[in-house]
Amino acid sequence: MEPEVVNSEMALPAVLPFKRIQMSDKYPKAQSRGRHWKHLKQILQAENFPENEPNYLSIESPPSIYPPKKFCDVTGFKAPYVDPRTSLRYASPDVLKCIRYLPNEYVQRYLSLRNAAIVLK
Amino acid sequence: MLSIDRPVRQSDYNCFSSTTPIVIDNGGSHFRIGWAGESDPRVIFRNTVQRPRHRATGETTTIVGDHDPALIKYFDCTRSSSRSPFDSNVVYQFEIMEYVLDYGFERLGAQGIQVDHPILMTECPCNPVSSRSKMAELLFETYGVHSIAFGVDAAFSYKFNQQLGICDEDGLVVCSGLATSHAFPFIRGEPVLDACCRTNIGGYHVTDYLKQLLSLKYPQHMSSITWEKAEDMKMEHCYVAEDYLSELELFQKKTKEAEEKTRCWQLPWVPPPQEEPPTEEELARKAALKEKQGQRLRDMAAAKRSVRIMELENELRGLEDLVQELDEMDEHEISSFLSNTVYSSRLEIESALQKVSQSLRKARGEPSDSEERVDVLSAEKYPLIGIPDEKLTPEQLKEKRRQTFIKTMSEGRSRAKQKRADEETQKEKQIHQDEEKRCENPELYLESLRAKHKELSERIEQRKRLKTNGSKTNGSQNLNGAGGRGERLNAAQRERMRLLTTAAFDRGKGEDTFGARDEDWQLYKLMSRDNDDEEDEEDEAELARVTSRLQDIDPTYIGPLQPTNISQPARITPQTAEDFQIVLGVERFRCPEILFQPPMVGVDQAGLDEMVGVLFRRLYGVDDAIKERISNSILVTGGSLLFPGLVPRLEAGVRKIRPYLSPIRVVRASDPILDAWRGASAYASASQFSSQTFSREDYYEKGEDWLRGYHIKYAH
Repeated sequence: MEPEVVNSEMALPAVLPFKRIQMSDKYPKAQSRGRHWKHLKQILQAENFPENEPNYLSIESPPSIYPPKKFCDVTGFKAPYVDPRTSLRYASPDVLKCIRYLPNEYVQRYLSLRNAAIVLK
Repeated sequence: MLSIDRPVRQSDYNCFSSTTPIVIDNGGSHFRIGWAGESDPRVIFRNTVQRPRHRATGETTTIVGDHDPALIKYFDCTRSSSRSPFDSNVVYQFEIMEYVLDYGFERLGAQGIQVDHPILMTECPCNPVSSRSKMAELLFETYGVHSIAFGVDAAFSYKFNQQLGICDEDGLVVCSGLATSHAFPFIRGEPVLDACCRTNIGGYHVTDYLKQLLSLKYPQHMSSITWEKAEDMKMEHCYVAEDYLSELELFQKKTKEAEEKTRCWQLPWVPPPQEEPPTEEELARKAALKEKQGQRLRDMAAAKRSVRIMELENELRGLEDLVQELDEMDEHEISSFLSNTVYSSRLEIESALQKVSQSLRKARGEPSDSEERVDVLSAEKYPLIGIPDEKLTPEQLKEKRRQTFIKTMSEGRSRAKQKRADEETQKEKQIHQDEEKRCENPELYLESLRAKHKELSERIEQRKRLKTNGSKTNGSQNLNGAGGRGERLNAAQRERMRLLTTAAFDRGKGEDTFGARDEDWQLYKLMSRDNDDEEDEEDEAELARVTSRLQDIDPTYIGPLQPTNISQPARITPQTAEDFQIVLGVERFRCPEILFQPPMVGVDQAGLDEMVGVLFRRLYGVDDAIKERISNSILVTGGSLLFPGLVPRLEAGVRKIRPYLSPIRVVRASDPILDAWRGASAYASASQFSSQTFSREDYYEKGEDWLRGYHIKYAH
């Protein structure tokens, strides 16, 4: 390794004396890659939460009681209009002109910002 | 924030007895580790792991936290990205977690065969028990830790601020981290997690929103808008608007205030080298150079011409000599003499002589008069034509055929000449007529000429457009995708298509007989022909005539509209510094606003202010007096709640939710980022800490279900 890399101590040593089990013993090369960790969703599915106790799912906030305000996807201003072709919200006719020139990819990216893009499965 | 500075390995590990707890704030963005009782964590680094391949040795190296970007050139990062042990705010990737812990302990200076200290570690509220037990397992098994305690970071932060007197025994904490925001109340110094409220919006979402918005706004600078840069901008420039809608209006009306609030980030930009207009001197030099080159070419041409003239003269002289010699010779000598030369007869020599003298005249620039002479000579030149074939020998017959051919050729030539002359006179006549017309009424004439010019040029233009697809006329339709297949083809292609289909329909009945008949192949001729070429040419010639006429007599005529003239202003204007600016206007408060309005980014949950309302609703059977006390001590903590203007905004939001005239006090933590660790440090150094920990034996004896019920007591 290059001296400056060694000097910066950026690489984690492979063997650490204070560990009882070294990383290489625990995750042999072939195994480490195949090791799958449950994602949060799977963890929560596997969990059996006891009743009458707060848990990860129960503390989740409910939806807002107010209707969501509509904002222009491009400018962020209050959006009274929706473009029926792209279903983007827009604030003024000028913005509509811009929207009409947007390539579909950008339209979809704008929509995906508020989780409204069309997702093909 | 610490960014590129790598933490230094601590050297005083051995000074701490094995009863001194190690305190770890395992945050979504940063990992903080230090000793209980101290005021600040010893080591702080970003809670990410990258495992690139070292270029020189090919080894996979593990890099925890941030690193010097200058050193990354030694590593191949194509197959590894920065990974975090967290999914949302829950640790799930314990392999990564192990690297992070390795690094944390290593930097703390751990020695010996195991980490022989109690550990206090933070976790999220209501951490799923499987995550908690895996963490405990990791610490027990791998590091040999003898006892552990888990606590909630926001609670430690609240307790720390309570000790500082910033908030009260009863109150609530609003805490926002990297991935989530929490709010939960404290009653008599203990957190009430039944009333806890979590919205899955955090600093990550704010940064991501800013990054996405900017890269959509400036697609040309997408590569400059990195995650790190967006994070820097967020921390430096973003703020929370006290009234979002009126703030928006300020910007929409482009008021002066909004202008002052707009920030501008200038990307590195080097102006292109200025093209100076050429100086007089330079122009003169260029002209001289051009002149010199022209002169050289002219000289060369002259030299070539003189050489040619000399050659021709020599040839002419030789031929003349030959003819002279022939004149002096006898009949019988001639044939033997001629066999030595390339010529076969005297006639041939004479014609060669004529040809040479003609080209010599041409080379000298004298007018040729050969044609007339040919005309004169024609009668004598073709003596054999008048004689019937029967009277001729085979040789003479051949000669006759040749003469006939030459005669028809020359006659054709003269006819063409005649025609040309006729046309010339015709044209002259027309010009004359035109002139007369003009003299009669110059105004009217000019007008009609102009109209004709316009009409002609329009017609030609139209035809051209039709030929080259006509993308200019129906381009907009094509853009919208309304044009069918037919509209995308130009006229010629359409015609070809039509011919092909008719051919297919006509002949395709029954069996394919195309090509059986000769006229089938005419189709291709039709196809390759541009049907109105001739018409086009005629029009163009007429246009040229009219144009030249206009140029002659119309002083206001500005010449035909050249397409180059039109495209001139459309040339790319040179880029200026403004093109490399990223303007932060609305984005400054639009991005943090998602903390208050998660639906803006498609998360259908309550925002920070409403979370407080939900929290109060979830506090069943709690006295209003306590609720009032709670709302009188709202602590704001966490790295994502540092935005200026957040506290007044939250206060305004809570005021809307709480009953009229209820006391409301919102305060910011003394240090929203480090207070959680500090609170944990203070907690771990207290004497009661050992009663809150659980050991390895406890864990294995009592099992996971016990760990589920494990909660530390925050209030001593």
